[in-house]
This record gives sequence, structure tokens and C-alpha cells, in this order.
Amino acid sequence: MELDEMKILWGEMSAEMEKQKKLTGSLIIRMANDRYTNKLNSILIPELLGTLVCIAGLLFITIEFQQLNTWYLQACGIIAVVILVSLPFLSFKSIFKLRSVNILQNNYRQSLLEYAIGKKRFVQVQKLSFYLSAVLLLVLLPVMAQLISGKDMFAVNRLWLWYAIAFPFFYPFSQWVFRSYVKTVEEAENMLKEL
Amino acid sequence: MHSREVFIGIIQENESLIYKVAKLYTNSREDEEDLYQEIVYQLWKSFPAFRAEARLSTWMYRIALNTAIAHLNKAKRKGNHLPIDEGLLNRTDSTDNLKEEQAKILYDRIKQLDTIEKAIILLYLEGKSYEEIASITGFTATNVGTRLARIKQKIKSQIKK
Repeated sequence: MELDEMKILWGEMSAEMEKQKKLTGSLIIRMANDRYTNKLNSILIPELLGTLVCIAGLLFITIEFQQLNTWYLQACGIIAVVILVSLPFLSFKSIFKLRSVNILQNNYRQSLLEYAIGKKRFVQVQKLSFYLSAVLLLVLLPVMAQLISGKDMFAVNRLWLWYAIAFPFFYPFSQWVFRSYVKTVEEAENMLKEL
Repeated sequence: MHSREVFIGIIQENESLIYKVAKLYTNSREDEEDLYQEIVYQLWKSFPAFRAEARLSTWMYRIALNTAIAHLNKAKRKGNHLPIDEGLLNRTDSTDNLKEEQAKILYDRIKQLDTIEKAIILLYLEGKSYEEIASITGFTATNVGTRLARIKQKIKSQIKK
């Protein structure tokens, strides 16, 4: 099928479609209204839930901070607090950036540029969030053990040793996790070149 | 006339445009419904800012195509749209079985093109001039011509495969 043949077929198809008008006025208004309500929910609910968990953790550690009685537990507590503040911030920022394609003002090329740049940034933030979450997991474990059951896991369970053993495996694991991101970034870069 | 009625009239008049964009930029019925509704919503949202001096079809294509790009970012959001159970998307591209099959092949060919090419071929098939395609997409008319030549080659090579 050559381009000219495609054009003829497309024209016939369009004429056929014109005979099949199906939208009613009430359906159009329902679609627009329904969309407006759902839009708020789809963006905010999952992000708000995550943020609430982070805030709960943050408050718990801050209020009980005096129970962290050694320098290393205090260091873990401070790192956990910083990450618990950063994670929701990064997440919200990247999501709003990704959704910020200006549909009403842009032309197609501008939208594609914003999309490709946003996609690359989103992947970078996803990577950063992954590393931060891994660090959070490491620091949160001894902090919570101390705050909830009063046990210093570094002293009781030789946690340092376990960290040292696990660390070499983390890099290959992260590369495995990021494999799918590479394709996304490549696609975005190719699109940028084309533009 | 009340602006709501004007808007409804415009959408009804151009519903096949929305249908075609939604169909080309999605791969499942669920996504298609989602994008269809999103385009209607975005048109509704931007309608107050629409100036009559701009061509209606240019405005509609611009919003529809931009919405399709923004939609590329979204994961499937089950249950997040109004279920269209009124046969809205159950259109036949042709009443003739052979033509229906050809239409399917046509959509499949276009779907294999990249995001930039998809918009250009859609507008070309819709009978838009290079200048109109340029004003909707933001590429120059010369660039549109070059890209169309490339698309022709690509489609030829698709056929050979």
C-alpha cells in the first residue's frame, strides 16, 4: 500500500465514520466533568498515601530522637529524617514535571520536546529515589529497632558486618533494576535528536 | 447561543477526528477510551481560550495531538474513566469487509511509525497542506516535506518485510 493508496483509503474510511456520529451532548458533558473529578484523585491519592507514611515515620523519629543514645544511631536517625523529607518532595516534583506538557499552548514539536526532556528527568529522579530508598532501608532498621524495642542492632547483631557483606551485591542488583530505564532514556534521546 | 451548546456542536461535528487520534496513539480499548475522554476534557478546558480567527481544525488537532503526547506518560489507570458502553468506539471503519481489513492494515502501518511521524502522516492523510501541518506541528513546511518523504520510504520497507 503506497502513500497515495493510503490517502484514498483513509478518505473512504473517514467518510464512512462521518455517517456514524454517536456522541450525544450529555455524554460529552459527562466525559468532561467526570474527567475533572478523576484527574484530582488519580494524581493525588497514591502520592498522598506515600507522603503520609513518610510523615508518620518522620514524626515518630523526631519525637523519639532522644532515645537514640549513640552517635551512629543518631547519625542513622538524621539520615532517615533527611531521606523521609526528600523522597515525597522528589516524587511530587518529578510527577508534576512529567505532567507539565502544556497542552493548551504548545505545538506538537514543543510538546514532544517537553515530553522527552521530562522523561529523561523522571528516570534520573527514579534512580535517585531507588538509591535513597536503599539507604533509608539500611538506616531505618537500627533506628526502629532502638525506638521500638530498645535494642542496639549494631551491638547485638553485628549489623556492620551484614552491611559489609551485602554491599558488593547491591551494585549488580541496581543495574538489573535500571535495565528497563536505559531503554526509556535512549528513546527519549532519539526523539530529542529527531526534533 | 450558550457556549456549552457551541462546544457540544463542535465536538459532535468533529468526533471522528478525536476517534482517529485516540485510536492511533493507543494499543488497547481501555487506553483508547481513556485518551478519547482526555481529549474531550482538554478541548473543553481550552475552549474558552479558543479564538475564532484560528482555524477550528488546527486548534482541535493541536489539542488532540498534544493530549496524545501527554497521555504517553500515563500508565494504565484502570477504572479511572467513564465506561463508554454506548458503542461509542464500536465503529466500523468500513461496511465492506475487505475495506475493513484494509483499514486495519492501514492503522497497523501507521502505529509502527514513531511519535513524530505518526502525527505528520495523520495530518497528511486528513488532507492537510504542508503549511497547515507545519502550523499544527511546529516544524517548517520544508521539514514536513522531508519527513513525509522519509515516511514513504519507511512504509515501502514495511511492505517488503
